[in-house]
Amino acid sequence: MKKQLFFQSAVVSTILSYFLIFVGGLVRVSGAGMGCPNWPKCGDGWMPPTNIDINQINTTLAWIEFTNRMFGVILGISIIILNVLAVFYFRKNYNLLFASILSLIFVIVNGVLGGVLVWFELNPYIKTVHMLFALILVSILSYICIKSYKMINTTLFKGLKKNPILSKSLIVFWILIVVEILLGTGIRTNLELVSIENPLLSKGELLNALDSYKYFHSFLGFTLLFLSAYIYSKLRTNKLYIARFLGIFILGMIIVQIFLGEMMIFFELPQLTRLFHTWGSSWLVGVVIILYNCISNEYDK
Amino acid sequence: MSMINKKLIIAFFSVLILGIIGLFTIDQATQSRINNLSVISEVPSFQLDNFDGTSFTEKNLDNKITVASFIFTQCEGACPIMSTNMGLLQKRFSDSDALQFVSITTDPDYDSSSVLKEFSDKYSSKNNWFFLRGDINDVVKLSEDGFFLSASLLPTGHSTRLVLIDKDRNIRQYYEGTVDANIIELQNDIVTLINKG
Repeated sequence: MKKQLFFQSAVVSTILSYFLIFVGGLVRVSGAGMGCPNWPKCGDGWMPPTNIDINQINTTLAWIEFTNRMFGVILGISIIILNVLAVFYFRKNYNLLFASILSLIFVIVNGVLGGVLVWFELNPYIKTVHMLFALILVSILSYICIKSYKMINTTLFKGLKKNPILSKSLIVFWILIVVEILLGTGIRTNLELVSIENPLLSKGELLNALDSYKYFHSFLGFTLLFLSAYIYSKLRTNKLYIARFLGIFILGMIIVQIFLGEMMIFFELPQLTRLFHTWGSSWLVGVVIILYNCISNEYDK
Repeated sequence: MSMINKKLIIAFFSVLILGIIGLFTIDQATQSRINNLSVISEVPSFQLDNFDGTSFTEKNLDNKITVASFIFTQCEGACPIMSTNMGLLQKRFSDSDALQFVSITTDPDYDSSSVLKEFSDKYSSKNNWFFLRGDINDVVKLSEDGFFLSASLLPTGHSTRLVLIDKDRNIRQYYEGTVDANIIELQNDIVTLINKG
């Protein structure tokens, strides 16, 4: 019962954090990052102004940015509840307790970093760190999910064959997908910097003006495709349904992302495609953590 | 229907709903940028002199997007920053003929045509930036009644705001001329006006 409650709390926090990444991405693609020109307040008050504002605040952009902050607070509360449960029920389980506390630290730090981002008027490096911390946060929360799930369903994970090469390739996959996502935000940042200096360039011309490391993003994308095909082939006959499912999910998601990436080049970066390109990729980060912990079974030791 | 299929359908619809929310939000944000540039007022008629001796009236604003400022050459605080920023915009949009720049001196006693010419040489890199002077009473009237910008205790009491004027002489928005974030905003709004008229 206690374990079930803790597991559910972890799942809620994880889903909320993915949702927050979606809203954060929406802030970026709609250019609403400076919608609230200050932090933690938005304009003169804690809520954005509702009518046309004399201080030239664009209220629509302010509400988009404010929604992002509001969901950040909701995620924070959800993780505080997770921590309370961890302290009450799992004081002896250092893995879960430590991971819960770490998730609380990361959610607070990333919230403040969101404020720093506004103070520094959307400095591109802080933007990238903000994204990196969000990816680490979903990784920690996914870890808590799968660990507590395994505590509830111990029998399910007994007697599995270990595959050290597969486990290692999942670690490599996690590192590469995080690098790939950060490279993607780097491309975006570069596009913005080039477009500030050359405001009249069309989006197609902007892409041509980019540094050569946009090719590295594509190259790494195809590397991830081969790696995910390997992972899928190894998991195809796995006894665990969840492992087989996640194997297909990873391969499918990589294919979808490569497709979306190419779409963005041919159709000059429609904003919604950008949003799902980033968000879908961020799912892989947590999924790989879950898969890794599924197939490395500590109960057989 | 099996549990798995049910979950997949829920996942599919969640993504679909998020997509619709995303599309709606992006559309609203784009629309709000255009609404933010609604017409504030029309620039009234005026007559001033450019530093090269030619006359400059409200008719010179027709069919050009104009960025206007009030400055004086001996000013040491805001004016150099404002003028540097205007020069930056002039360079970035140098490929476009749709844009022009206007700076009106609030110190016509000191800022003779030759002083303004010197100032122009320092900040301007193209012949689409006009440095204007005229009777101080006309300048005050234009600033206060035409642009709704305060002009008390001149020359120092001029506004530090840049004014964006569209092709039909309409004032569309104001920007703090010394704040980088506002300059970026102005730049984006110029692009919006060039693309959408």
